Amino acid sequence: MTARKSGSRLETEIERCRSEAQWDKIPELVRQLSAKLISNDDLGELLLGECKLQTYLKENPIKQGTSPRVQRPKLLEVRKHLTAALDRGNLKPDYIQEASLLMAKLCYVEGEYKDALGHYSKVNLDDMQLAGAPVYRLSMIAESYATKGLCLEKVPAASPSLSNKNAGSPASNRSMTEREQEIITCYEKSGDIALLYLQEAEKALSAGIQNRSPKPGPTAQDQELGYFLETGLQRAHVIHFKNGNLTQGVGRFREILRAIETRTTQNLRMTIARQLAEILLRGMCEQSYWSPLEDPPVVSPLDDPTRQGHTHSKSYSLSRRPRVYSGENLFCPQENTEEALLLLLISESMANRDAVLSRIPEHNNDRIISLQSASVVYDLLTIALGRRGQYEMLSECLERAMKFAFEEFHLWYQLALSLMAAGKSARAVKVLKECIRLKPDDPTIPLLAVKLCIGPLHWLDEGECFAKMVIDMGEKAAEFRAKGYLAIGLVYSLKATDASLRSTQEEYQRKALGAFQRAQSLSPTDHLAAFYLALQLAVSRQIPEALGYVRQALQLQGDDVHSLHLLALLLSAQKHYHDALNIIEMALSEYPENFNLLYTKVKLEAMCRGPEEALLTCKHMLQIWKSFYNLTNPSDSGRGSSLLDRAIADRRQLNAMTLPDFSDPETGSVHATSIAASRVEQALSEVASSLQSSAPKHGPLHPWMTLAQIWLHAAEVYIGMSKPAEATACTQEAANLFPTSHNVLYMRGQIAELRGNIDEAKRWYEEALSINPTHVKTMQRLGLILHQLQRYSLSEKVLRDAVQANSHLLSHDRPKVGTSRRTGTTVKRKVVHINPHVTTFLQRLTEFEPNIKTVYVRAFVSTHRARCCGFYRWWFPAVSCLVI
Amino acid sequence: MSSVFKAAKGGGVSLRKMLGSERSVVEEWLSEFKSLPETHIPSYAGSLHLKKSLVPALYRVIQDPNNELLEPVCHQLFELYRSSEDRLRRFTLQFLPELVWVYLRITASRDRQSNGCIEALLLGIYNLEIVDKDGNSKLLSFTIPSLSKPSIYHEPSSLGSMALTEGALCQHDLIRVVYSGLHPQRETFTAQNRFEVLCFLMLCYNSAVVYMPLSSYQSVCRMSSRLCVCGFPRQQQKLWREPCNRVLLDPEFMVQMLTGVYHAIYNGEWEMGREALEDILYRAQLELYSQPLLLGNAMKNSLPESAPDAPRGRKVLQVEVTPTISRISISAITTASIRRHRWKREDADGMSGGEDSFNINDPDEGFSSGASNSSQPSGTKLGGSVGPRGGSLNSSTSSIKKAITARLSRDKEREREKEREKERETDKQAELSADLQAATRRHQQRQQSPPASINLDAIQLSPIKKHLSFPAGPTLVRTGSTSSSKSFDCTNFNLNGGDGEEHEEAGGSEREGLLAGGSHRHSTISLQEEHLLRPEEAQALLSPGAPLTKQSRSPSFNMQIISQV
Repeated sequence: MTARKSGSRLETEIERCRSEAQWDKIPELVRQLSAKLISNDDLGELLLGECKLQTYLKENPIKQGTSPRVQRPKLLEVRKHLTAALDRGNLKPDYIQEASLLMAKLCYVEGEYKDALGHYSKVNLDDMQLAGAPVYRLSMIAESYATKGLCLEKVPAASPSLSNKNAGSPASNRSMTEREQEIITCYEKSGDIALLYLQEAEKALSAGIQNRSPKPGPTAQDQELGYFLETGLQRAHVIHFKNGNLTQGVGRFREILRAIETRTTQNLRMTIARQLAEILLRGMCEQSYWSPLEDPPVVSPLDDPTRQGHTHSKSYSLSRRPRVYSGENLFCPQENTEEALLLLLISESMANRDAVLSRIPEHNNDRIISLQSASVVYDLLTIALGRRGQYEMLSECLERAMKFAFEEFHLWYQLALSLMAAGKSARAVKVLKECIRLKPDDPTIPLLAVKLCIGPLHWLDEGECFAKMVIDMGEKAAEFRAKGYLAIGLVYSLKATDASLRSTQEEYQRKALGAFQRAQSLSPTDHLAAFYLALQLAVSRQIPEALGYVRQALQLQGDDVHSLHLLALLLSAQKHYHDALNIIEMALSEYPENFNLLYTKVKLEAMCRGPEEALLTCKHMLQIWKSFYNLTNPSDSGRGSSLLDRAIADRRQLNAMTLPDFSDPETGSVHATSIAASRVEQALSEVASSLQSSAPKHGPLHPWMTLAQIWLHAAEVYIGMSKPAEATACTQEAANLFPTSHNVLYMRGQIAELRGNIDEAKRWYEEALSINPTHVKTMQRLGLILHQLQRYSLSEKVLRDAVQANSHLLSHDRPKVGTSRRTGTTVKRKVVHINPHVTTFLQRLTEFEPNIKTVYVRAFVSTHRARCCGFYRWWFPAVSCLVI
Repeated sequence: MSSVFKAAKGGGVSLRKMLGSERSVVEEWLSEFKSLPETHIPSYAGSLHLKKSLVPALYRVIQDPNNELLEPVCHQLFELYRSSEDRLRRFTLQFLPELVWVYLRITASRDRQSNGCIEALLLGIYNLEIVDKDGNSKLLSFTIPSLSKPSIYHEPSSLGSMALTEGALCQHDLIRVVYSGLHPQRETFTAQNRFEVLCFLMLCYNSAVVYMPLSSYQSVCRMSSRLCVCGFPRQQQKLWREPCNRVLLDPEFMVQMLTGVYHAIYNGEWEMGREALEDILYRAQLELYSQPLLLGNAMKNSLPESAPDAPRGRKVLQVEVTPTISRISISAITTASIRRHRWKREDADGMSGGEDSFNINDPDEGFSSGASNSSQPSGTKLGGSVGPRGGSLNSSTSSIKKAITARLSRDKEREREKEREKERETDKQAELSADLQAATRRHQQRQQSPPASINLDAIQLSPIKKHLSFPAGPTLVRTGSTSSSKSFDCTNFNLNGGDGEEHEEAGGSEREGLLAGGSHRHSTISLQEEHLLRPEEAQALLSPGAPLTKQSRSPSFNMQIISQV
């Protein structure tokens, strides 16, 4: 420190201090310098002037948006130093330039804008060398450009316009534009050089640390940019946006962002990245987008139309530009969401880094700031990802926001919603619980939780809890109160389905009915309330009442598929099969690819129009199945394309097939039937053979379940036609997909019965029951067979189990069954007797009832069309009454 | 609350009779285009927006289902849409929100007959838009950017801490996602396809929304508000009380509505837009639709506080010069400061200060940036080999090796830096040995599986074995092990899928970010694995005819294409 430094060493040290803005060391160095050579005095004056000016500005920083006008003794001193340095003219040209620039800066600080401009006109800023210049000089040039821009903004347009005050004239307009252009160019140059300066300064700093100092020292802390450099970096785009010139503003943003970041620019980059993302999301669209490496469109709807035509291309060049990110395979966005996402991810990473983790009161403000800046970024991420349906990625991003989220409702709620949208139901419910804690008055949140609980999760107890929360809110819940009752009704209804004890079942059914009635009375214009009430009434055998409400539901929402379906089923329960079929066909015209409707159609057709029609419908279903899962190829991981190929091939085969012509007299109905049957059979086998290799071991099961159901329906029709061979083939197809399904086994039993193999049938039924011990129809058949085999007591037990398992099956006939306990014959008679009356409807209702869930899923859960529940929950439509 | 409906009054409900002058404007427009020679179309397109009274008159026609001009107008709008001139197409497109509203309202009222020409126009636009110029089905896709891959705006190493958590998301490569596509031609509207068609139409509208005039923004806000409240109690609070059935809405469609409204808010329709946003949120709450709720909440939460004042009401952005100094005080504990703190402590522990290279960019995140760096090129390399060309096992082997060697050499450059990580490396070693045990176990399990997978294992394990038997200095071993363990991590994770949890437990907290969410990672490697395990299927997968490989991401739809950028 005290040792005298040799000349060059001293100069290097001075240069370093200037570059690192260590102004406090300058006076000492100047003293050493003057002691060496007289001619250095001028340089000393320059340095002292600079150091005093900078120190002053550091202690009295200029605020953005204010214009300084100071006349202080301190600055007088500065002026004295600088004048002294300039007057004698002994300085090297470089230093003369520097002194002039400092003088101009001083003038600006004192509010003498014209004088400042005068100094700038003496020094040609554009001629100053950027290459090889010491770091501090880069900063000086950048500041000078910014200051010049500031002065130009202050001083009214050049001399001629002073006399020419009528702003309307085209001449003044043009000169205004030119002036504006000059100002912007000044700022843009300033910004570019500032970026270059920061990059160089950082390089020098790290090199310096490596070479010399054993510890980083105080210099490692963030360098302040100061008013002038900040202005230079940002004023250009601020002006662009103020003028409504988005295209150029975007261009400028991109230039700044493409420059390699430095520690000092991190905050600026974070802000600019977010702002650019905002523009991309709010002010641009796919068609107006241009990629960062392309030229912007000449005319853009982004720009203020009144100013259009004022656009200009970049009109300046610099001998040296800031380094930009480069390299091979750089990702360059090609689309506005892409760019917005990239920018937001970058902002997010920075916002995350600044997350204030401590919760002590002193840091409250910091925490709020960090939360706000992160929260904005996460909202924008939500908008960008949400409109592209990327909920999974979104939920992962929001998961990262959790470090900010302590007691922050918005972040928690958004996370919950994103998890829900991404299908992560269990976690969503957990997060929703926290949301409820933070905002206990909002009925939407528990309702969302119920939706998940009774939809994909099947957590009925939890669901009941959440629904009760809504109901307990009472009047406060307003329109959501009815929803609360609806939800709890559904919970009870599902619990009834799950319950094994008849009394429990009935209890839940009763509760469900009450809840639906309440919901319906609270919200008489809600078609869902009317529909569920109708459904519940149907379940409890109040057919006429059910019909009333389902009609009401249809008046409110004529298109609702579930109401239409229920209406058809209710009509069929009243034996209006043709009406039911008409309704189904009407519904199918609106929902041509709805398999549930088609299943019912098969049954009704078999009854009203004969099995041929039903078989044609089966074939139609297969076609739909193929085209459906071909086109919207579901989330079928990785195997999609091979399946697709096969499906396409299959479609060709199906197209080549001609439909049997029933009007042809040559082929009488019987004959036609068999031809049609065999053709359908053929088509079925073709599909089957193509599917055998890819048994549905993984991937979503829904399409495969649908396919199996179609096969089973076809098998059922064949059984109705007494064609055991075809029925076996169809069942086999279903078995290939789900070999252990109780429905498949049940169907096999039916076929065996048809063939007269009672023992075999018994075996199949027993197997079916071993898989699903509560499958009522199997029990029913088994009971009858046992009776045939004259094993009365066993028969009776099975039938009683059946009754027990399904309260509504024979609920009002229970006494009869009870009295007939003594002889199996009576039981059998009763059952057979009851069947034609009730089973037609019952069968469809049972068919329908598992759909409560589907319905719910559709109406309440809506996105989850595929219900992926456990194996025992799969339900295949039953086949029984038609054979009996 | 009610400005939508006030404004709507001007736009006129069908009750108001059309003025004679309006009628003549429309009629003139109808006849003018018919007699227009082909060559004049561009100039016609340029002058269309000058007919100031035409657009309001057309709105009047569209809003009145009994207007006899409706059919010719719809026909004409379709003709304009069919022309090759963008400006003409956009002229038609500006009426889309109004058309959708009228269509849905009439559908809900079950008075279908009078709806025919609007339906036909909507379906016509849809059928034109679903195919590209050559008549192939359009696939709309975009790339999900990844911070672990360098871009024109960043370098992975400078975002150290992020790269770690981000690692889970974008481990290897950019993912290309199809967000809309493969729509079939439609000849009729059914309840089933209604919203598929309408969603796509709104998507088209939103992709050109910038070109729409203010009247169209008003229309999109009006449509959204009315669709969301009609038939609900909230309608009673509006000036517009025309009795109307509830209109069923689809969550996806509501998301599209939100996108349009969001644009309107920032481009001149601040009041109407915000009201529409509120109404959409109201409806989304009642329907319990998570997607529109999610977006709507985000939009509402990020709204600026005050109304716009810029020319034409545009408030896309208000920029001020922001201070570059972090607003967060240095004393506050942040993620970054914790890391910095850790570094300082290690320094104080006397970690050979003199020869340290000082990573100025991020002294605090040097380590993690290394992690992101070393995992990234392997992804790129592997990505290349998934393409149709590199289908064979051999080439993928070599590419993996190449990636590893490349990393080794690069890591040498960082050796000095790595010195500083000695402590952490020790931990890492411990982890690694745990990993190795798991790996060996897995390796043994794998013995029973098809030979292809064993091969893959051998490829992946070889560098680790080398490391085990390598007696060289600690630095070399360490570099070798980090890089190989990284690639091993990634691959194994993908290979094992279900083993993920076990693995996760084995991994230290440092890697949690990498591993969390691994089950939904869509890496090239996971494809690679499929490819190796089932060569015969992979052939089909990678055949030139099938350029897209589908994988699920979101439950609703979407296919993933691994880009080969």
